[in-house]
Amino acid sequence: MHGPEVIFLVIGIVGVLFIGLPWLIFHYVTKWKSQATITTEDENLLDELHDLARRLDERMSTIERIVQADNPNWRAIAGDPVETALEDRSERLYEAERTTNRPARRT
Amino acid sequence: MAGLRTKFYLDKQNRKWLGVCAGIADYTGVDVTVIRIGFVLGTLLGQGTPLLAYWIIAWLAPKKPGELYDADPDQKKFWQSVRASPRRAGRDVRARFRDIDRRLADVETYVTSSNNRLAREIEQLR
Repeated sequence: MHGPEVIFLVIGIVGVLFIGLPWLIFHYVTKWKSQATITTEDENLLDELHDLARRLDERMSTIERIVQADNPNWRAIAGDPVETALEDRSERLYEAERTTNRPARRT
Repeated sequence: MAGLRTKFYLDKQNRKWLGVCAGIADYTGVDVTVIRIGFVLGTLLGQGTPLLAYWIIAWLAPKKPGELYDADPDQKKFWQSVRASPRRAGRDVRARFRDIDRRLADVETYVTSSNNRLAREIEQLR
């Protein structure tokens, strides 16, 4: 290996190392920079919204539990209030009176 | 908040060597073992180029500030999704609010209709 072959090899290595590699790196750096980034304010806003959503979610679950304890069939009533509202509870009351042999209503 | 949560940091708390793999795992949410295995395999196959990259990253990237370590895994996951795509993370938050809105509407309907029912029952008793 003498003469022009060595020169071509050196040129190839130098080309790959000092032109190709930085080109590749800067290509991805510019691509990455041009992507939509968020600022610190956006980040704080997003953090707050996420936290708020989590807390509201927990509160909503608590309220749903309370309503569920009040009336296990509440989802059907909420879905179709006019049809199911009256019969539903009275039937439950009659049922309770029949099974326990005493009025279900608390005094 | 002192530091940005969407920046890349070296994770010195979970490090094996300089914290680069742990940092990548923390940034992306990919399991740290997978990244380490990939890195070692890459080093063996790629004649040490990943090792050079590791060194450069360890030299360039800042250490993760102590207050950015999330105790809550839910919080950690959320920020990983923000780093992956802020837009999608924003849409997810919006979806959560819409879900809450819908559930609240259900409860509202129930409460108002049961008030109506109560009023009717009282009417019947008269």
